[in-house]
Amino acid sequence: MSNMYYVAPEQVMKDKAEFAQKGIARGRSIIGAIYETGVVMVAENPSASLYKVSEVYDRLAFAGVGKYNEFDRLREAGIRWADGTGFTYSREDVDARALANYYAQYIGDVFTEGQKPLEIEILVAQLGNKLRPTKLYRIQYEGTIIDEAAFAVLGGDAESIKARFTQLATEPAGLAATLRSAVDALSGPDRSILTADLEVGILEDRGHRRTFKRLSDEEVNALRG
Amino acid sequence: MGLPLFNATSDPGPSFLSYADSVGLTLSQSNPSDLSAHATTVVALRCRDGVVMVGDRQATHGYIASRDVRKIEAADHFTGIAISGSAARGLEFIRIAQLSFEHYEKMSDASLSLEGKANYLSPLIQRNNLTMPLVVLPLLAGWDTSHGIGRVFEYDGAGGCYERQDFTTIGSGSPFAESTLRLGFRPDLTLDEALELAALAIYEAGDNDPSTGGPDFVRNLFPMMVTITAQGFQELPQEYVANTYRSIVERRTQSGGAAGGTLR
Repeated sequence: MSNMYYVAPEQVMKDKAEFAQKGIARGRSIIGAIYETGVVMVAENPSASLYKVSEVYDRLAFAGVGKYNEFDRLREAGIRWADGTGFTYSREDVDARALANYYAQYIGDVFTEGQKPLEIEILVAQLGNKLRPTKLYRIQYEGTIIDEAAFAVLGGDAESIKARFTQLATEPAGLAATLRSAVDALSGPDRSILTADLEVGILEDRGHRRTFKRLSDEEVNALRG
Repeated sequence: MGLPLFNATSDPGPSFLSYADSVGLTLSQSNPSDLSAHATTVVALRCRDGVVMVGDRQATHGYIASRDVRKIEAADHFTGIAISGSAARGLEFIRIAQLSFEHYEKMSDASLSLEGKANYLSPLIQRNNLTMPLVVLPLLAGWDTSHGIGRVFEYDGAGGCYERQDFTTIGSGSPFAESTLRLGFRPDLTLDEALELAALAIYEAGDNDPSTGGPDFVRNLFPMMVTITAQGFQELPQEYVANTYRSIVERRTQSGGAAGGTLR
């Protein structure tokens, strides 16, 4: 008989949760917020090619914090799921809630059954139309899915960023104001973030089928004013 | 459909076809040539500012099955794709091409090159034409953003992809359209001249080939005319197309149906 000690399930879960939280807290945070005519996702990201925010489908976007390889695999799975579903049925049958549920189930399964939990937190954003509402689904490392009403903060310092953003963005505003609030909330009062270190993606109707757009540094600068 | 996750060694990459194959989404292979309606003539030609595509709107199945088929579609912002042969397979072909280019773009955060798009279609044609040659034959034309030129590609039934320096035609009206293009083509055509020539080529095809439709003034249905330039894919408004064909028909009426010794 080898060294098999009894460990209470509460302790196992607590250890796993701590492990995941530590991993997530190492990275920079992301804010996803609904503004008057769309959804904006703002990430602090010094890399100009390893994206944290990306397009999934016509009206769906993905954002992830934590270990890049872990959330990027989920991003790819989301694109494949959406393109496959749209091809099999119709483009209008691709729905954020279904995708968010699949993500939550998978992340939850890994948390309970896997060797180690995923050190990630992700966001599925949907731009509404007459068929569906605008939605932000935040999914945590243990599979909890949260339907966020106006904005979502992902990453380590979520509580204080959340508090700052709530103070700055008291009512629905346009893109420029929402972006400024998000950047100020991410940076806090003691530092400022260079535009080059920001990654910004929006979902907005511009008369095309695909609503996702990555904003260039020039566009972000113009909006920051 | 569950969440399609793969490990690094079995990952199908950014190709929608490889992904579809790996999860069994693939289209079935059958021989629809005797069963379904056929789409006919489309031309694409290069000009100074890009490429021009014009195609008729008719699908035939012994009788006229449809008068308003769209045989030319934007595969993406800078690429046009056109089909001939089985309408069922052709429309599915367009759908898969559009989806594949977008899928690649989203997966890898970069657009495929125009040549990459042209080559991507080859195995798709091979697959469609396995049981019976020439079930569906497409052509691809677009603005090459890396090199700043318009380019046209044609295919053979084995899936071979060939770039043409001047123009290409597909469908049963090809011989007539091609003759017109051969007589009228110059490498320095302006966009307007290229549109005029392509419209005339489709008029000739409609005039001679029983499966190709001509301008339909009764129903106000006209061939599709498209330009692809540095500004992207643009379908010309119905008014422009109607006026183009109205003037061709007026000229022909005056000369009793004959072209009258010139391209007009």
